[in-house]
This record gives sequence, structure tokens and C-alpha cells, in this order.
Amino acid sequence: MLPRRIFQFFLIYCLAVAMLAAIKYGLGLSDYVIPGPQLLWKTLQSELGRYLKDAADTMTVAVVGQLLSILLAFAVGIFGRRTTWLGSFIKVAAYNVQAYPIVAIAPIIFILLGDGFFSRLLIAAMICYFPLLLSVLGIMSEPIGDIEHFYRQTGRMRWQLEVKIRAFENMHKLTTVVAGSSTLAMAGTIVAEFIAANAGIGYSIRVALYQSDLAKILVALFIIGITLSIYQGILELCGGLAKRGWVGRVAA
Amino acid sequence: MKHSTDTLLLAIAFVVWIVAGLWAQNAAASDAAVTYRLKWLKNMSTVGDLFALRQGYFRERGLDVTIKPGGPERDAIRELELGYAQFGVASADQVIRALAKGAPVIVVAQLFQVNPLQWIYRRDRISVETLTDLKGKTLGVTFGKNDEIIMRTLLARAQISDAQVRLYSVRLDYTPFFKGVVDLWPVYINTQGVEIGGRLASSGEPVGYFNPDDHGVRFVANSVVTSQDMAVRHPDIVRNFVQALLKGWRQALRIDNGSLAVEAVRQYDRDSALHVLQEQLQATRSIVQPTPRSVIGAIDHTAWQETENIMLQHRQIAKPVTVIKYLRADMVR
Repeated sequence: MLPRRIFQFFLIYCLAVAMLAAIKYGLGLSDYVIPGPQLLWKTLQSELGRYLKDAADTMTVAVVGQLLSILLAFAVGIFGRRTTWLGSFIKVAAYNVQAYPIVAIAPIIFILLGDGFFSRLLIAAMICYFPLLLSVLGIMSEPIGDIEHFYRQTGRMRWQLEVKIRAFENMHKLTTVVAGSSTLAMAGTIVAEFIAANAGIGYSIRVALYQSDLAKILVALFIIGITLSIYQGILELCGGLAKRGWVGRVAA
Repeated sequence: MKHSTDTLLLAIAFVVWIVAGLWAQNAAASDAAVTYRLKWLKNMSTVGDLFALRQGYFRERGLDVTIKPGGPERDAIRELELGYAQFGVASADQVIRALAKGAPVIVVAQLFQVNPLQWIYRRDRISVETLTDLKGKTLGVTFGKNDEIIMRTLLARAQISDAQVRLYSVRLDYTPFFKGVVDLWPVYINTQGVEIGGRLASSGEPVGYFNPDDHGVRFVANSVVTSQDMAVRHPDIVRNFVQALLKGWRQALRIDNGSLAVEAVRQYDRDSALHVLQEQLQATRSIVQPTPRSVIGAIDHTAWQETENIMLQHRQIAKPVTVIKYLRADMVR
């Protein structure tokens, strides 16, 4: 799964670069507008180390932000799954609040918290949190009729068991949602860095933009893509392992 | 298999469509309708441009000009090459970087004879008379932009290492300066300088400005650029454009045209108070025409060469581009 993900990204990236090259040579554009392969290669060699460090920095914030949002989304999702007044209130509130563009709120966060680690973390978590919450709410509100009916009839149903049943039956969906949300966490962190932070790969892209250096931006995008592919692959792997482990325990 | 062939055909069609579109844009450049891409938003730094448009100086010369605002994501030189614009405003570092990468760009006028980029500071907290006064200070710089290069040049001249100062990454939000986190904050003295300085002065905080020019660092700012192709194929359009534009600047800076000039800017910059705009206009005069004998739009070859030398010294370019070759002073005359 992991090598396939990386290979797929590599293929897409190469296609995009080839497309840019076709435009560059088709129109006879200079390296200033679209960098040629030689300049791209030179930039990759000179910036790889620095950008890898920046991407690792961004990834750290994204992972912590995603973890926070997963925890929060599951907590709220589990609480909001019920058909009570509070449950439906949480659902409506979640749907409404997620309509706010976080990017518009981001500058306020930076003004209040400064441009350090916490601002980036908060924005990453917020961008990642709401779509995750909506999915978790959807999954957790959907009863698994046959199984739940059995436990209800036998009087053994507790809320923990209900959550476990729904999570287990939707493990594939949950894994996909969590893996998908990593893209949002990463995008959120990069957006935060681009807007106002002073570290990370988003900040490096901003600096490259000030210098009108598309080669640096393309190299940064390459590193972001590779990092994200690896992270998503690992998440999917963990999801698979968790499910296998769970199935094994249930069978035993 | 069929699916991948379809995808490939779609990708090729997409590229052909983009190439054809850009070709059409380039072809459109032959009309007298031209687009002029600014470096930043329509504010007092563009008063002459807006004045020329409002007073119909371009039309007088048979040109249908559209002025488009710039911004951090806009690059006039790139747009010239792609055919989205025929003229633009760029700073010297942008021009030199573009030339280093083979962009076919030329400079036809230099709008700012003095670089408006200076650093504002609170005079009651610090004093910056000499370069060594920078030691131990927190200096705001926009990493990647020309103010970083200028500040690094100043620090190098004073033999101040990075460890002896704190470079603070600057964005558009001035809060760190107002809070006192940063000692010196980069501003365009004719626009932000007036606004921030005025705000601080009204609250009883005297401000000072640290001008790199006073310490021997001359770095050219806003200049008018066009493509080499445009200058060769349409020299009349280029000449007419430059002449109309400079007429706009000359007229806008005249004392008796003050209210007309402010009005030209005010239609776009509605957030700035009238008195702020008037002060900004006054400050802009001293940048575009520092002395009564200064020729508006004149290209300062020495300053351009010095800018290139600074960029070489800071490895912003790998080898000399001989920028002097790309300065077309004859268009101003």
C-alpha cells in the first residue's frame, strides 16, 4: 500500500511537471516563469535538506493537530450520536460552525496567539476537526440494527458497547476518514504557515514566492506530497492492523 | 488501457488549450489596448499612474490602458512574458532575478528616485544614528524580500553578525511593532510610514526612521518594465505609454494639483483618511522627485549597478547579469 501510494504521487507529480515543461517549451518561456528540468534539479539538490527539515516541522504540527482533532471529534461524535435534544443540538452546531472558513479566522488567531507553534497547531486542528466531526457523527449516529437489537433484547447494551459495535462495523470508513483528514491537517498547517507563521514548509513556500522562485515552490510541493503519501500510507497500515487485531481478539 | 489513453489525450488537449490561450494573449499585445500591472495595491505609491488614467493622458496618446493592482502573489515580469500584461512595475531585485533566469525584460523608467523602504522605530525607546546602533536590537525583515537583503547588507557593512541582532519575520500585521516586540519595523515611508507614524505620534510616541540610503546602501525600488519583444515590435506604444505615465506623475506631484491627485487615489483607497492621503502625497513627492532638478522617471544607472552588486554579494544571483544593458533611459526623454 505504502509504495503504491508513493509511486502514484510520483507519477502525478511527474505528469504535472511534464505538463509545465510542455507549456514552457511550447511558448518559449524563460526559467523565471517556469523552471526547466536543469534548474529544478539544481534547486532540488540545494534545497532538499532544508525543505525536508521544514516538512518534518510541518508534519509534526499536522500530526499533533490531527490527533487532537480526532480525539475531540470522537468525543463530540460519541456524545452527539444520541437522539436526545443535546445530541441534535451538537449536530446542528457542528454543521453550522464548520461553515465558517477557518482561513478567515486564522489572522485573528495569529494576532492573539502570535506566530508560534500553538497558532499553527490550532489552525491545523480546526481545519481538520470539522470534516472529521461530521463523518464521525454520521457513522456514530447510524445504528447497526441486527447486532444492537440482540444486545438490547438481552439487556446487555451499554453506551461503550454501542460505540464499539458502530466503530468496528465502520472501521474501513473510519480509517479512510482519518487517513483523509491527514491531508486536511497538513493543508491546514501549511495554510497557517503561509499566512503568518515563521517556520515550516508553508513559510518556506511564502519566502520562495517573495523571491518569485517557482523552482523552489515545485521542490517544496514535491516534498510535501512525498511526506503526506508516507503518512497516509502509515495511517492506513495502522487502521488495517487495528482491525486485524480487533478481529483476532473477538475471534479468540 | 482505453482509460489511460483518454486521460493522456485529455492532458494533451489541456496543454494545447493553455498554450493556444497564452499565444492569443501575446498576439493581443499588438493592439493599443495595454494592461499595466502594478507592484502593489492602488495607493499613494501609484498616484501618478492613477492620475494619468483619470486625466486621460493615455487616451491622448491613443492608448487604452487598464491598470491592475499587484500584490505578493502578482509578478508583473512573469505576466509580461505570459502576455497577461504589457507593462508593469517591479523593484530592481525582481528585475535582476528575472534577468538571471533569462526573462526578456527591460526597464523603461524608474519611478522612485529614493527607495521608500525605511525602518520605523520609537525614538523614546531607542536611538539609531549609526549602523552599530543596530547591535542587540530586534529588527523586522520580510524574509525573502528586498528589505532582508538591504538589512543584511547594512549589518555586513557594520560587521554585525546574525548572533548580535534578532531578525524578526515581518508580515502585514503591525501588532509586534505596536506591542514593542520589534524595535525596527520596515515600512514604505510614503504610505505605511505616514499611517503608523501618525498613529504613534498622535498617542504621544515620537517616531524616527532609519534610512539605508543615509548609510550608503542604495537599492532601487519601483520601476516601470516591459518586455524586450514589446520594445522591438512596438516602440511607439512603449514610448507613448512612458510619456503619458510620466506626465501623470509630473502633474500629480504639482502642488496645485494636490486635491485632484488625492481624489485619484481616494477612489481606490477608501480606508485611508483624507488627511493621511494628503500627508502621503507630500511624502511621495520627496521620493519621486527628491530635488527640484530631479527628472521624474530618470533611471539611476549607478544605483542599479549597486543593487546588482549587493545581490551578487548576497548570492541572490549566481553570476552578474549586467543590468545596465537592460535599462532604456531613452524612453524617459
